[in-house]
Amino acid sequence: MQWDDAAVARWLEPLSSRSGELAEIFGERRREVSVTWTDGRLGDVRVRREEGVSARWRFGRDERLAFVAGANEASVREAVRSLRTISGREPLPIRNPRASKSGQTEESDAENEGTAWVDLQRWSRRLTGILGRHAPRHRFLWRVCETERRVVASGLAAPSPSSSISRRRLVSVEGTLTAASRHGDEQRPIAFHAPDAEGTADELKAILVAATAPRDRPVAPGDGLTDVVLAQGCAAVLFHEILGHAMEADAARSALSSPLREDARVAVAELDVTDDPRRLDLFGGYERDDEGVAPRAVKLLHSGRVGSRLTDRSHAARGGSSGHARRAGPAEAPMPRCSNVVVPAGSATSEEIARRLNNGIWIEDFRGGSAQVAAGTFRLPFTRARRVRRGRFTEELGAGVLAGRTLEALQGVEAVLGREARPCRSLGWCSRDGQVVPVQGESPDVLIRGLSVRSSR
Amino acid sequence: MKNTPAEEAAALPGRLEERAPGRWELYSKSAESWERVSTPEGSRLAWRREEGWAARAWEDDGPRFAAATSPGELLAALADARRFAPETEPPPTWPNGAAEPASATPAERPPELFDELGRALTDATNGACTLSRLAVRRGTLVERVRNAGGLDVGQTRSELDGVATAIARRGERASEVRIAFRSFEGPDIPALARRLGDAATLPLAEPAAPPSRGEWLLDPVVGAALLAGIAPIFTSERPPRWIARGALAAPDTGVADDATPDALFDGEGVPSRRVLLVEEGQLVGGLRDLRAAQRRGLPSTGHGVRPSYRTPPAAGPRRIFFETKTPRTPAELLASVKRGVYASALISPPRIDVVEDRFEIEFAGIAVLAGRARAPVPAARVAGRLSELLRRIQALSTDLQFFPLPFAAGAPTILIEPASFD
Repeated sequence: MQWDDAAVARWLEPLSSRSGELAEIFGERRREVSVTWTDGRLGDVRVRREEGVSARWRFGRDERLAFVAGANEASVREAVRSLRTISGREPLPIRNPRASKSGQTEESDAENEGTAWVDLQRWSRRLTGILGRHAPRHRFLWRVCETERRVVASGLAAPSPSSSISRRRLVSVEGTLTAASRHGDEQRPIAFHAPDAEGTADELKAILVAATAPRDRPVAPGDGLTDVVLAQGCAAVLFHEILGHAMEADAARSALSSPLREDARVAVAELDVTDDPRRLDLFGGYERDDEGVAPRAVKLLHSGRVGSRLTDRSHAARGGSSGHARRAGPAEAPMPRCSNVVVPAGSATSEEIARRLNNGIWIEDFRGGSAQVAAGTFRLPFTRARRVRRGRFTEELGAGVLAGRTLEALQGVEAVLGREARPCRSLGWCSRDGQVVPVQGESPDVLIRGLSVRSSR
Repeated sequence: MKNTPAEEAAALPGRLEERAPGRWELYSKSAESWERVSTPEGSRLAWRREEGWAARAWEDDGPRFAAATSPGELLAALADARRFAPETEPPPTWPNGAAEPASATPAERPPELFDELGRALTDATNGACTLSRLAVRRGTLVERVRNAGGLDVGQTRSELDGVATAIARRGERASEVRIAFRSFEGPDIPALARRLGDAATLPLAEPAAPPSRGEWLLDPVVGAALLAGIAPIFTSERPPRWIARGALAAPDTGVADDATPDALFDGEGVPSRRVLLVEEGQLVGGLRDLRAAQRRGLPSTGHGVRPSYRTPPAAGPRRIFFETKTPRTPAELLASVKRGVYASALISPPRIDVVEDRFEIEFAGIAVLAGRARAPVPAARVAGRLSELLRRIQALSTDLQFFPLPFAAGAPTILIEPASFD
């Protein structure tokens, strides 16, 4: 992504000269490797190398976007020229692209890539070893995605002009493993998403070991209202669906979600929920959002009261963007989106929480989730759970769906939170209006009264 | 001196032949599209010029796939892929042939339909439902597939597709639905408004228990979702065990896939053709791409599907639909229902497990008594064995309609013998 920020800012000037106008260039370079692993053997190998750039202009209710493949100065020029044309401005004159000033950057890029590939090959060898030892029968897709994003922004509260570059490398492992169980072999789904870091492989190993533990034959969880403990960090999925999406500044509003107005009391005072993109140890973290704004943590729920909205530059109030503008890729316009939903720990042990639950179900993982913000409802499918009777774990439960209404779920949260907040590594990619972005969360064990559960048949 | 992108593109087949002699395939696309996204708060107009390159090469051992946004990056991606050693697999038998793509006309801006659809929706639901978002995209795509066997085919396609989102409110309750559409001429506004209105307002109707058992009439959108859910049967190399002796569905039911109205070739350059999958209830065919064809020792059926240049082609349906030799009109089907439920819209995606022979469909609809619509049914569920469901299809109607799911899946109104409703 080689271009001259000052020249690009000049090209954008006519698009951001009026008060309230916003103009920007967003470029992305993506490198992605994905490999399928079947019982220790490498299957399909796929590599993606993509570059794209888009120019965007926004003023009041109107927005224009122009995207072209490639991310050099010629691509930026074509994107700005097209944007100026479709915005009814004087088009940028056509000029031959300038040669890059020197090959130095490209060479250092190549060197960096070489190092990255050595890391990847090491990763893949380590993964082969881990799978061989802990889950020899499996079918997984291993994916490593590295993105570099560059933004030049001007107008609408941007320090004129501002430019930023951010990089991220993420690892995902998704698939199934075959575990020996007391009632015979069974296939168990696994999803693991984490930023690529020193301890990522160890964390994956721990998850695989836990996933292969012997289990009893499951019984149906039954249908009806029940009290539920969301453990091992999976409460982050619930709060992501019911609070994260509802607090996105452009989310649809309805009579039901209106009680989520700022400062309304909707849960116990012990409950705080924050969206924190600065947590780079979580999958949804970033140093700059996709409008080049440094993000800040936003309290979605503060002592049980509704906090602030997640904003981008277009939806920002007086305080400016909260740094939650996110894009699935350079061809898309940014939207305010949640990132890492974080719930601070309380003080209760798991045993105390199980005693407090008394009778109900204990869930440690969800296989996805969805919410209808306008309707104020959510659905969280799970593959397994445990029944708790009189504070003790009893039978293994099979797949079911947890469902309910946003406000009722928040009001049902008990003032007792687990004393250890854990990342929910199975939460990784979130789709809204077809745009998929990385997300994650961290939560302690959370006890919720009166949720609806239904067996999957 | 660095080559220009055009020179790099021209040199690509030669470079691939050097790397993997006789064992490569090259796909390229260039697309121009316009998208208009309208909401009550404002609108966005986007123009996109996309370029994508993809290659599969069997270098030394197994297949490697690379995708990139320029020819130079594609070669770099192939070099990256060489760092991993996949399992050995022989390359497929490459098809050959030649076809020039039709000249592409510049893409036009999509029509502004928000106000028209919004009015139609308000009229269809007496104001109970409002349009909250409409995205319409129109574009032109030029694709070219070449391979080591001498194939060089190109095709040009123009498409208009979109997604409409509506919100209905009733008292304290609300419902939000999203419906995708695709057509060459633009959506049928009254039909789309009716479908959106039903899907959004029926779940909010006064709770009325459906009959516990009765005939089940499926709207085409529900039938198409069911067909999309069972589509893996047609691509699996070994049919599930429950398909005993090929008997899959009721004797008068057929399923075919025919993408010839949409595209001349599949994503691997194999000509599109009609493939009969189920005939008189019997499973008679399958869908194969080049690799599946190689494994099974059969020819490709022209079903190497590329949802995007970023993914390698894989066997899949392209334009699949139910058919019958003895269709009846929708009115006849409705009249034949003594007691049952008309499933008008899905509440959640159907859960279909073709391996375990299970299905679960949640829907909103209308109770039917003696061939007449009675009370709305805000939510009902039918679950059970897929094999039984398919064998109990009683009749298919004449009103075949296609839906993007995301591949084109088509169904007419379908009548199913008595089912149990929750």
